[in-house]
Amino acid sequence: MAIKPSPSDSTSNPVQTLTFPALVFAKLAPTTFLTAHLSSPHGPLRPSGRSPSQVRTPTCHTGSLTHAHGSAVVRCGDTAVVCGVRGEILRAEDIPDYKPQPEEDARRDYEDEQDEQALKITIMAEEEKKLAEIGSGGHNRNSQSPDRGNEDEQGRRKRIRREDSEEMARLGLLVPNLELATGCSPDNLPGGPPSLLAQTLTQRILTLLHTTHLLRMGDLRLWFHPRAPSSTPFKPADEGEDEDLARPSVKAFWALYIDILFISLDGNAFDAAWLSVLAALKDTRLPRAWWDGDRETVLCSDDPSEARVLDLYDMPVALSFGIFEGDGESKGKRWVLVDMDGFEEGQCREGGTVVVGDGGRVVRIEKDGRGMVGVKEVRDLVERAKERRMEWIGVLG
Amino acid sequence: MDRRRVNGPAGGTAPPVYASTLTGKTASAANRTRQPNEIRKIFVKTGLTPSASGSAYLELESSPATHHSKSLTNRTPALKLTCTVHGPRPLPRSAPFSPQLLLSTRVKFAPFAARQRRGYIPDASEKDLAAHLETALRGVLIGERWPKSGVDVVVTVLEGEEDCPLEALAEGNQGGRIGGWGLMSILSGCITVASAAVTDAGIDCVDLITGGVAAIVRQPSAPLQLVLDPCPSDHEEIVAACVIGYLQSRDEVTELWAKGNISPSSSGKETKPLCFETLVDLAVEAANGARRVLVEAIKESTEAKLESSAVG
Repeated sequence: MAIKPSPSDSTSNPVQTLTFPALVFAKLAPTTFLTAHLSSPHGPLRPSGRSPSQVRTPTCHTGSLTHAHGSAVVRCGDTAVVCGVRGEILRAEDIPDYKPQPEEDARRDYEDEQDEQALKITIMAEEEKKLAEIGSGGHNRNSQSPDRGNEDEQGRRKRIRREDSEEMARLGLLVPNLELATGCSPDNLPGGPPSLLAQTLTQRILTLLHTTHLLRMGDLRLWFHPRAPSSTPFKPADEGEDEDLARPSVKAFWALYIDILFISLDGNAFDAAWLSVLAALKDTRLPRAWWDGDRETVLCSDDPSEARVLDLYDMPVALSFGIFEGDGESKGKRWVLVDMDGFEEGQCREGGTVVVGDGGRVVRIEKDGRGMVGVKEVRDLVERAKERRMEWIGVLG
Repeated sequence: MDRRRVNGPAGGTAPPVYASTLTGKTASAANRTRQPNEIRKIFVKTGLTPSASGSAYLELESSPATHHSKSLTNRTPALKLTCTVHGPRPLPRSAPFSPQLLLSTRVKFAPFAARQRRGYIPDASEKDLAAHLETALRGVLIGERWPKSGVDVVVTVLEGEEDCPLEALAEGNQGGRIGGWGLMSILSGCITVASAAVTDAGIDCVDLITGGVAAIVRQPSAPLQLVLDPCPSDHEEIVAACVIGYLQSRDEVTELWAKGNISPSSSGKETKPLCFETLVDLAVEAANGARRVLVEAIKESTEAKLESSAVG
């Protein structure tokens, strides 16, 4: 990459031409550098060689941390994240003003279980169908599960999921924390409290975990069945004529500590962090746990074959973007850049994230900066996110 | 309470207690399958964090799975460390004049690095490790070439080793602040990985420093024995251990940390008496082993750098 010297230079010293290596040019005039790339005659191309709408393909490696119940290492370009999920026991008696609702809990667990059985079968079919019809707009879920597809069923499942995440939020069972201060970039050195960026990212991940209704409460409850330890959890109410002692009750919960550590940061921290959370949760295996009445404590089995996976309701996919405004000749021209790297992030004054879940359902849209991106652009971005969802599902296996 | 982070439930949570550890039906200490003078396989890679001046990743292979390792309680962890180096860069204007390069080191455990979840607030053992690492590196860097500058060396422990033998773990002894045999290997790893990252950053050094550990251990039904690169979960008991930061080509030691019960020297005629001197010699041997790996890794990354700069 070379730039022509300005006229005044060339008149004073006509022989010498001023040339820079690309890196120096990028440092000296970043906006001009990016504009030159994007308005090249061969179509807009970013300095990394990607087109504006092209994302970096992530790689994912799970289960490499011994002490975590689930873990993932995710790499998107030069951004690398490690996420570890660790389950700890929260005893019901340690929860301030906790009101046990055994019947309510049991009913929800039971319904949930029933739903899950049916859902698993339909989801598999749906994913396959979706691969085929991606891009053809939203589809009607009811039409794909005709055997059980009435409005009641839909509404009930939605209600269970909402109640589940409300309870999780109330008890504080999901504890995500994101750490940037590992020297992952020159701006993020340890010492001092977490940076503003780390705090906002943590908060966004926390809210996204709850608003997407990702996890099932049934996976996190620990039941105690005084009479018949291995029978079905839910029994019709007419059998429970005995006193309270004989009734099954929830004695404890699993709290999930989700720790996200950045090893390297080169833009788009949120998407990488979110993918690592999904991958780690998918990899999580909680040991079988039970309430030991004699010891008044929760014990776990160390047999890996008894450990249970967490069921994820959905696979919501994040896509972050930025709007770059050119300078010089192409002043006023805009490009929507998805999955920006660190250099591009520094040049964009407007950006945001869309999160798309099952069936193209939009879970979250956020956008900051001036009003440069309109409804049409956002619609395009949602389509991109749907495409990315397929990619992520492939990566997560 | 830390208001800038998401805290767990207010009532507090407890890590899972495994039933097998209560009944005492635990696996006996895994046996060391390596030779006494054999160190674990080391994997070093530099340049993981392109935006930093220098960076490196180090992994020590975990002990091979024994028949007990199927249980969730005694999966053997492998040491995994990452290190980034930022600088040398100018000190802030407010800082007093320094004729030398100011070195600051930090060691941080990831929350999932140990059997017990570790918090984000730095604790004393991390500060202690950082101080040890600083003394080790200070003697290697040629500080006079970088006046008025500072360099940050940040080591993150992604996965650490057990602090004590597995049997002690089963008895509820979690090592804690006092046990800490695992810290010895971690420090040795920190020295090696920091050395790789400093070299990757191109900061002038007098030599390549590497860390090594040696220990006197008690094996099940065997007399005391000297071993290189001990893994605490492999042995019944560790009697003494020594970490060293060693410069091979100058035959210098910049960091030495030994603990346990050892006699200073031995008048006996054995070839390898169980004394401090032998322990240090063996730690040096371990450091030399690590150096061979480090040199290879650095050569590889330098060749890659040269190639890419020739293309660019």
